[in-house]
Amino acid sequence: MIPTPKILLVDDEDRFRTTMRKLLTGHGLDVTDVDSGHKALTALASQDFDVIVLDLRMPDMDGINTLKAMKDINPDLEVIILTGHASLDDAMEIMQLGGTEYLLKPCSVEALLDKIEIAFERKTIRETHGPQRRSEIPEPEERDQ
Amino acid sequence: MQQNFPLATTLGVWAFMALTAIIGATLLLTGYVWGGTAVWLWAALAYFLISRYASQTAAAVQQGFVTGEQLLQAQKLAALGELAAGLAHEINNPLAIIRQEAEYAQFVLKKSTIGDSPELLEVRDSLREIITQVDRSREITQNLLNFARKREPVLQQVEINRLIEDMVRLVEKEARNKNIHLQRHYDPDLPVVTSDPPLLRQVILNLLNNASYAIGADGEITVATRTLPNREILITVADTGPGIAPEVLPKIFDPFFTTKPQGKGTGLGLAICHGIIQKLGGRISSTSEPGRGATFAVTLPLSAQSQEQPA
Repeated sequence: MIPTPKILLVDDEDRFRTTMRKLLTGHGLDVTDVDSGHKALTALASQDFDVIVLDLRMPDMDGINTLKAMKDINPDLEVIILTGHASLDDAMEIMQLGGTEYLLKPCSVEALLDKIEIAFERKTIRETHGPQRRSEIPEPEERDQ
Repeated sequence: MQQNFPLATTLGVWAFMALTAIIGATLLLTGYVWGGTAVWLWAALAYFLISRYASQTAAAVQQGFVTGEQLLQAQKLAALGELAAGLAHEINNPLAIIRQEAEYAQFVLKKSTIGDSPELLEVRDSLREIITQVDRSREITQNLLNFARKREPVLQQVEINRLIEDMVRLVEKEARNKNIHLQRHYDPDLPVVTSDPPLLRQVILNLLNNASYAIGADGEITVATRTLPNREILITVADTGPGIAPEVLPKIFDPFFTTKPQGKGTGLGLAICHGIIQKLGGRISSTSEPGRGATFAVTLPLSAQSQEQPA
């Protein structure tokens, strides 16, 4: 039986977050949602998540700092950045910090589901192969969007 | 940029030149009448020096005016660029919510057992349209971000004629369907320039598309290149469209200014072209007479140097 991916959705925009949770849940994912970087770190301390979906612009702790703190806890975390504030500088910093994917709002739920699926497969492969460097793990195939 | 000097500046420069000519002529005449050949020679020398100084001063006054106006335009564009980027980012978030709500409504309808009544089909159609329009708005915000993005030119050797020809061929097929013909007048001896090919392609394509749009159907676009006496490269794109009204001409490089109908243009195309050409160390200007088409002229230096002005 295929395990249900556990998703942590971090976004300060209430309506976006709750509807996204309903959409992802409707597509068979197990979703926990929080509205700040601090709450995301608290959730990570008590539970395991397969994929994190993280907004960049948040009032108390922005996405970049949240990502840094998450990577300090677990460098292998699969993090998808979903933001309306994309810039080339942000994208490069995110990649350097080990952010897995980068999606610009507004995007279709299918596009996000594809990214989540790829990230989840990558995590599963990594766990199957045991602890290895990220670069040594075969990449799952990218899907057309 | 259209280089229109205010009437006062133009009159002032001409008055200065005329005064110099009168003084010179008086010196020559009085020197010849009262002082003989030697004094006449001295007077001629003085006239030569004064007239040379006068023409240099007049050129400097005009140049100063051009530089000042270009700086103002650059500052205006930079400020609007920042505003546009901020606006685009802020709009993306509510757009995301609108799209997501429509997707969720589609999802709920798909799972429901209500069936396919005509009313429900209307609702589904309406939801699809909401998503289409959100995606269209996203394209606009992307254009705004592209406009605001400060990409430094990556300089390479460019064969301008070939680069233009690539873009002409891209436009030609569609233009032919509208009975618009493209004429080429390339200078075969054009030197290779050092510039940024992708940025230049963007400008040329934009000018060609604008020309085609202006004509609509049945007309001609003439693309020409040549080397100017100061070794700059001149590219012109001329169309046989309705032309640009004189009151509109000074505004066409302003961001968000468009003469296209609502929903057909963002008014950023020429503003982006202006920004690019300025970054490449060149100039862009337009001339037009209503009813006789419009001509856009791009001058480029042999080697691009960043001309970006401080914001």
